[in-house]
Amino acid sequence: MQFAREINRLLLGVLAVLLIVAGSATYWAIVGADTILDRKDNPRQVEAEASIRRGSIFDRNGQLLVETTDADGGLMRRYLHPETYSALGYFSLRYGVNGAEAAYNTTLRGDDRPSDFNTYFSMDILHRPHQGSDVRLTFDLAIQQQVAHIMAGRQGAAIVLAVPSGEVLAMVSAPTFDPNTLDTEWERLIAEPGNPFFNRALQGNYQPGGTLQTPLIAAAMLTGIPLDTPIDDATRPLSIANVNLRCAAFLSPRALTLREAYLFGCPYPFAQLADELGIEGVQAIFDTFHLDSPPTLAGFVVQPADTPTASPSTFSLNSDNLAQNALGQGELTITPLEMAMIGAAIVNDGNAPEPYTLQETRPPGSEAWIPATHLHPSIPLTTANTARQLQDMMRLAVANGAAQNAGRANIDIGGHATLAYSGEGAQAWFVGFATLGGRQGVAVAIVIENSDDPGLAADIGGSALAIARDALSP
Amino acid sequence: MTFDTAPIDLQPTETPRIRQFERLLLGLAAAFLFVNSLALILVQGNSQPVQWLHLILWLACAAIGSVTLDRYLPGRDPLLFPISMFLSGWGLVMIDRLAPNFADRQTVWLVVSLAAMLLTATLPGPLRWLRNFRYILLVFGLLLLVATIVLGRNPSDPTGETNAPQLWLGFGSIFFQPSETLKIILVAFLASYLAENYPAMRAEGLDSGGRALPFSPRVLGPILLMWGISVLILIWQRDLGTAILFFVVFLVLLYVASGYNLILVSGAILIAIAALVAYQQFSVVQLRVDIWLNPWPEADGRAFQIVQSLLAFAAGGIFGQGVGQGSPTYIPVVHSDFVFAALAEEWGLLGIITVIACIAILVTRGMRAAVRQQRRPFLALLTVGLSMLIATQSVLIMAGVLKLIPLTGVTLPFLSYGGSSLLASFVIIGLLLRLSALESHHAVRA
Repeated sequence: MQFAREINRLLLGVLAVLLIVAGSATYWAIVGADTILDRKDNPRQVEAEASIRRGSIFDRNGQLLVETTDADGGLMRRYLHPETYSALGYFSLRYGVNGAEAAYNTTLRGDDRPSDFNTYFSMDILHRPHQGSDVRLTFDLAIQQQVAHIMAGRQGAAIVLAVPSGEVLAMVSAPTFDPNTLDTEWERLIAEPGNPFFNRALQGNYQPGGTLQTPLIAAAMLTGIPLDTPIDDATRPLSIANVNLRCAAFLSPRALTLREAYLFGCPYPFAQLADELGIEGVQAIFDTFHLDSPPTLAGFVVQPADTPTASPSTFSLNSDNLAQNALGQGELTITPLEMAMIGAAIVNDGNAPEPYTLQETRPPGSEAWIPATHLHPSIPLTTANTARQLQDMMRLAVANGAAQNAGRANIDIGGHATLAYSGEGAQAWFVGFATLGGRQGVAVAIVIENSDDPGLAADIGGSALAIARDALSP
Repeated sequence: MTFDTAPIDLQPTETPRIRQFERLLLGLAAAFLFVNSLALILVQGNSQPVQWLHLILWLACAAIGSVTLDRYLPGRDPLLFPISMFLSGWGLVMIDRLAPNFADRQTVWLVVSLAAMLLTATLPGPLRWLRNFRYILLVFGLLLLVATIVLGRNPSDPTGETNAPQLWLGFGSIFFQPSETLKIILVAFLASYLAENYPAMRAEGLDSGGRALPFSPRVLGPILLMWGISVLILIWQRDLGTAILFFVVFLVLLYVASGYNLILVSGAILIAIAALVAYQQFSVVQLRVDIWLNPWPEADGRAFQIVQSLLAFAAGGIFGQGVGQGSPTYIPVVHSDFVFAALAEEWGLLGIITVIACIAILVTRGMRAAVRQQRRPFLALLTVGLSMLIATQSVLIMAGVLKLIPLTGVTLPFLSYGGSSLLASFVIIGLLLRLSALESHHAVRA
């Protein structure tokens, strides 16, 4: 045997090396796969994302808002109505999802579909592109368009809720961005001082200012403090924390009752009221109105972002900051959604409906819409009796108070227009409602930044309510 | 373990069984290729008759090869031809999928390679020529090497503007890589040199009381020659893969001829020293080693290729994505050096194991033929050398794309795109077929 020993050893060596190679391949195919497939530079991830045909988005009446179309060499997401941009958010392969696109991302991508054999076969074996479900949202294109047009050019937010369902009929945040050109405009948009990606309607933590007069007067009613005793020099401006608070309407110096002070949004009587209620009384009404815990809109992610005005913070009332916070100029902040819910509670016997935006979904290839299952527990904020009294006061405020501009012919509208101050500027607030017969109603909250004109906010609110009435009436 | 304990004697009476077995294997390969071509055409959605033409030409090659071999080499090893056809057919499907523009060219090369294989296997001369004209052949081979160093070009960069390695000789639009020819010539040369000198080597060991003394000029001479050639290739051609291939195959031959274990050890040390020096001196080596040690920080830069390759293995998983359904084209030059990674993505671990098993079978059958010829040292060493060319080259590139070793740009035999590589591989198979068909040493006088 001349070479047999060497040759056999050699062969064993080669086979051993091949075994190591096979072992290494097994490692990368099975064990190590998970550790590297998620890498950001894996082009397969991007390709898989790009091949997903996202579902379309419709408004409550079946109007197409967003669709995915075939573009040269790929798919393109098209947003059809500029007025809906701020509510719908964006979808970008590079920058992710935002707004409603983010809230219903799973459904729009089709990730929530049950995995039966057919989907497994068509996706994992045949590699057919994934297709997402369509969604129908509670937004009403007509209302959304009108409100967005009125808000155009301003900075602020508007939100319209249906009562008692809690459907969000319209949601506008201004300024906004164009999701169709996001990828090219991104750098400019993120540098813009107005912060267009920030959804002010849901996330804007604003100084509440005079809007807190509504819970305070509710507290007065509940504790039996008389509303109709005249208070001397009630229209006087009040200087708190270096800002000069004044009535929401221009009034000559005179005496007003608490009720009248509410109609005109005058701060001084409410400072007295807060004093009378005491720390515990004010804290109690803040608690029952859930002012410390801003509500969220189901599905919508609240991103940590720079707020235009103030940031939410935990605080406790004490004798030093009582007046400041009771007049909405302290640490307490609120969102437009929160104010809209208070408006909705007032027209809904004191119960704030839980807001939502998803109505129905439709799986790809199907004609039938599947109602989204929702639990909508309403949140009791105050008693039915107090709510009705507040309604009447708000109607008066529209009839001949600071919210006069909200009045529209032949519509039952109530509302409260006030001012809040933050830093150098002021925000004009309007919170209101319209009844539509039966138990149906609409609630609205408007905030206009850098404006000291509550009449403007009231006017926008009135228009929004009128449009909503027209859109919802049969 | 020796293969002599259970020799399969390929007597003429058994040739119908060989023929049947070989045809069965070829049939299975054809079925595999048909299914995959069909799947690829369905996936790509455009039925191009040219893809079927590639398969038809492959079938013609398989049929002609089988019939010719039956006639001239009835006692051949029945596994060598079907496996090489299977792998090269798979390679054609891969190139159809990865780089369709090159598929026609590769099919032509397959036909040429098959013709070369049949000539090598059936003509009476080649084994004798390799032995008798070894110096002429060696000089010819070295001239080719020098010609490449002087006139070398790169098919993807014919004008030589970039820094791409220039390992090809071009004649018009046809490019040929001389190192592919050189590797066969070198193996033949070394086999005949060692066949003449091995008794002395083994005797020297005996003279010193059975202790191995590998430092005689007889042993050191060829080592230094080969080492020199390898280093030359590395320096002037920056062709790390071929340099390592030459040196490894040579060491192995020397080991088999002399029986010194120490040769493998000292060879490994020499490789290590050369590697260290090369790492210091050559940027191409430094680059390869750096990204081998830690590719992740430079995943979108210099290490892009290897990271994408590993991603392809990961994306393929066990069963693969299916032909035409993965994304292996993200790997630069996937159709030549990285065809193994593309195969991993689309055929999964199962495909990878199949390829490795095929290589293992080829090498095992080659070694078996070598053992059968061990009384005829030249033929035995030649067979070992040729088998080791396929084994080493396969391991270098497979382990390279798996980040087991630094990447060396050699082709995966039969599967990678590349005409000269395919031709050389089939010539090796032709020689192995012929060697396997020779009668066992039991039947002839040594």
